[in-house]
Amino acid sequence: MILSKEKLGALVEQVKISGALFAAPAVDGGQVVMKSVNVADEISFDYVITANSAKEYLFPQTETIAVVEIEKNKVKLSAVEPDAPETVLFGVRPCDAAAFASLRSVFTWDFIDESYTKREDKSIVLSVACTKGDEGCFCTSVGLKPDTTDGSDLQLKETTDGGSFVVEALTDKGKEFVKKFSDVFDDGSADTKAIFTPDEIPGGVDIEKIKERLADPAHYADPVWPELARKCFGCGACTFSCPTCHCFDITDEGDVFSTERKKNWDACQIDNFTLHASGHNPRDTQTKRWRNRFMCKFHIYPKKFTTKGCVGCGRCVRVCPVRLDITEVMAEFSK
Amino acid sequence: MSDLYIPKLVRIEDVVEEAPDVKSFRLVFQDEELRDSFKFETGQFGLYSAFGYGESTFCIASSPTQKGFIQCTFRASGRVTNALSALSIGDTMGFRGPYGNSFPVEEWKGKNMVFIAGGIGLPPVRSVIRYALDRREDFGDITIVYGSKSVADLVYKNELAHWDERADINCIQTVDPGGETEDWKGKVGFVPTVLEEAAPSADNTIAIICGPPIMIKFCLSALDKLGFNDEQVYTTLENKMKCGVGKCGRCNVGDIYVCKEGPVYSAAEVKKMYDDF
Ligand code: SF4
Ligand code: SF4
Ligand code: FES
Repeated sequence: MILSKEKLGALVEQVKISGALFAAPAVDGGQVVMKSVNVADEISFDYVITANSAKEYLFPQTETIAVVEIEKNKVKLSAVEPDAPETVLFGVRPCDAAAFASLRSVFTWDFIDESYTKREDKSIVLSVACTKGDEGCFCTSVGLKPDTTDGSDLQLKETTDGGSFVVEALTDKGKEFVKKFSDVFDDGSADTKAIFTPDEIPGGVDIEKIKERLADPAHYADPVWPELARKCFGCGACTFSCPTCHCFDITDEGDVFSTERKKNWDACQIDNFTLHASGHNPRDTQTKRWRNRFMCKFHIYPKKFTTKGCVGCGRCVRVCPVRLDITEVMAEFSK
Repeated sequence: MSDLYIPKLVRIEDVVEEAPDVKSFRLVFQDEELRDSFKFETGQFGLYSAFGYGESTFCIASSPTQKGFIQCTFRASGRVTNALSALSIGDTMGFRGPYGNSFPVEEWKGKNMVFIAGGIGLPPVRSVIRYALDRREDFGDITIVYGSKSVADLVYKNELAHWDERADINCIQTVDPGGETEDWKGKVGFVPTVLEEAAPSADNTIAIICGPPIMIKFCLSALDKLGFNDEQVYTTLENKMKCGVGKCGRCNVGDIYVCKEGPVYSAAEVKKMYDDF
């Protein structure tokens, strides 16, 4: 099946007419980001990976979960249903698509966070396999591929002439989408561009070895930790840009008469993240906080949620102001 | 349920000033049906809302044997707890829970119990004490060792007086040196020392400890000297929590989510954990 770039305009239009949101890579502020587009002309094809991941469409940075009105000691508490519009996520990189499985695993173990699952149910993921990358990419080191289909409903591969995509429908949702918008999809096949292959991480990475080392609590005392984390100053950029990071805060924004209870992204790299009311902080140094992030990615996620904590998108490497490179830590713990 | 993080409204029915900055609330669900159907087990916790300020986590300090209400005890030490502390009888606040695991009280039938608490560590232990006293015939000897910085800082003073009077409880109260008053009839000394002097028998006994980390540490070695093994000793961990349901990612000790797999652990389990305290 073929989707020609010329027909993308019609697809965006029809999707918008159906009432759904169409999010795609588009230039904003000098970089390519996942954003809601109204016309196909806005869509950018010239990107390695969007600056933000598609995560925020299923797990928004901020959302109101309840509204509380207080009048003369009468409290009116109203839960706010998550707004979960039909959403088409176009041009998602396969690593970001794979990250949805990780988010789902956290938001559905035992208790179900419907804010997440409702949005996921209403979304369809059209990933585009990578034909280029940069030195930040390392999906192959975490067991994924630049054309992995995990988490994608449809996967698109650019044709050699660059004018179209070869489309593969992977799920029922994907097949229905094709049926629904059948006039934009054409039968046929074509040659596709070569898939990009990320460079090996210098020193080599062995995920099983990393897991094994992290499974032993003794590694907390490893003198390599303060050394590895020394540069980090806890800005949280790595966590906020990560497609699998799931931490959030619950806060009240308002006053004692009227307040919104919100669920906002939070980050384990921030110094007060684990601060107790007593003043005690179990993760009181940046080393401990960074170690926790690494533990979460390569031990907690695989062990507790049986999913990947890191999909190798490389964002944390690209955005870190001090270039603290997670792959160097991975290499260190592969020894 | 999409109301996963939505609290239930509760009315404050009673307020007790326990100690400087420490208050207890007796809370009743606004929803009458919930008042009857609400169930929890000793050791479980909840998230308490001061609307306009946010939520704070503490244990349920009452016992499941007490019906129709729940009780919580907290120290005003942050934004939310200060706001809670400013509320009075008749005011409405929020509660969600119960969350977490619980003390395996059913397994402890027929055992002697030693309760050890320091300062504001008494409330979680008190839930089990109440439970044991309400089912007194199910348990053997009951020893309570409770201490705080000063006499004023002791919480549940009325209950302590009552436990003191009962012949079927060995209740030992202590205050740190310098914290005593002229008419203080209890001990003067730190909890671990007093515990060692009291020397409860380890035979067929379960010990529950709750208090500041340093007190727990020294009590563990005191219990060790008294012949307790790590499977006989339980504690409840405290950590910063926001969701209570294993999503927000901040209560973990290594790979253990205290809100989901805890907060109650045996000393044997605690010793196996990552050093994330
Ligand atoms: S840890 Fe870094 S490379 Fe891995 S998924 Fe998160 S942002 Fe991407
Ligand atoms: S982006 Fe870099 S400096 Fe900022 S918290 Fe992450 S590792 Fe530390
Ligand atoms: S309190 Fe949120 S994960 Fe435990």
